[in-house]
Amino acid sequence: MQPDPIFVIAAALAVSVILASAATHKLRAPARFASQLEEYQLLPQALVRPVARVLPWIEAALAFALLVPAARQVAALAAAALLAGYALAIAINLWRGRRDIDCGCAGPQQAQPIRPVLLARNAVLVGLALVASLAPLSRGLGVFDGFVVIAASAVALLIYAAADGLMANSPRLLKLIGR
Amino acid sequence: MEALIVSNILLWCLLIALAFAVMGLVRQIGVLHGRLAPAGALMVDKGVAVNEPAPQLTAADRSGRPVNIGYAGEKAQLLFFLSPTCPICKSLLPSIKSIAKEQAHRLDVLYVSDGDMDAQKTLIAEHKLEDATYVVSPEVGMTYQIGKLPYAALIDNAGVLRAKGLVNSREHLDSLFETEHLGSATLQQYLHNSQHAHGAHNH
Repeated sequence: MQPDPIFVIAAALAVSVILASAATHKLRAPARFASQLEEYQLLPQALVRPVARVLPWIEAALAFALLVPAARQVAALAAAALLAGYALAIAINLWRGRRDIDCGCAGPQQAQPIRPVLLARNAVLVGLALVASLAPLSRGLGVFDGFVVIAASAVALLIYAAADGLMANSPRLLKLIGR
Repeated sequence: MEALIVSNILLWCLLIALAFAVMGLVRQIGVLHGRLAPAGALMVDKGVAVNEPAPQLTAADRSGRPVNIGYAGEKAQLLFFLSPTCPICKSLLPSIKSIAKEQAHRLDVLYVSDGDMDAQKTLIAEHKLEDATYVVSPEVGMTYQIGKLPYAALIDNAGVLRAKGLVNSREHLDSLFETEHLGSATLQQYLHNSQHAHGAHNH
């Protein structure tokens, strides 16, 4: 069964904006991202700097490609793989018991330690990217469809930002009530 | 059909507005968390150590009766250091009075002041403190080494100084009782310790 193009395009738009914002955060503070990457202790020391330099550009390129209809399917699959990779990196460190490292998930104001709930967050993002990778039903799109796509992705992004904020707040709340 | 489209557009617009509101609330909670962390009465690091026996002295209250400070007794003591010339002290008096009333069964509140007697009388009349234990004596402040006002010190019924600090708000006052309850010198120290314990637990 093929989904309606509205679902696919809205998902692609949402993932694209999330990747673009992630890329700008990383490009603005390359040193911080490099140290976060190093903290994860997954890469040999020699590879940390080059990977830290290339990753944001990959994110930016994927964000752009998601908006191009011809490249959308491939880009969405690549984005899903990238996000699943991040989840894997978090999972490995959780399994190692290193819960106190900075996730580096959102912007600079939202430093948060890695926790299992972040895996759920990444799973949702991977699911969104997979929806964007589906081949849509071909039908003509009118102005109203365009409006629905933009509105739906805007709501998805706002709720994503709110959920992210709640996740960043929860360790601080626990600290405040003394657990 | 037209009506459905209009209603759909309206719903989307309202949903976006709602999502903005939710995000705004989350951000505000984040800001509050940022501001809340250093809460608690500021402890100036001098004078009598917390969780040590409080210095014992006897001073005369306003009407000449002797008042024992720092001795073991039936009730805990809250010393509130104030001065008629300190506006924040006056703004805290209603909170102090309500604490005195709420905890009358286990807590004696002592107002300790210093300075001009006429000004003291005006303050007492203004805030209806006629029945309170009001000590005008620079000795108490010197013994407890109070440099800044309004300052509060909490002494438990065994005569041990449980908490002390510069208090600027009701929250600061409450934090004194909270630190007494938690057994740390200050709320900051408690947060610090629990953070460490937490970190150690995770390693």
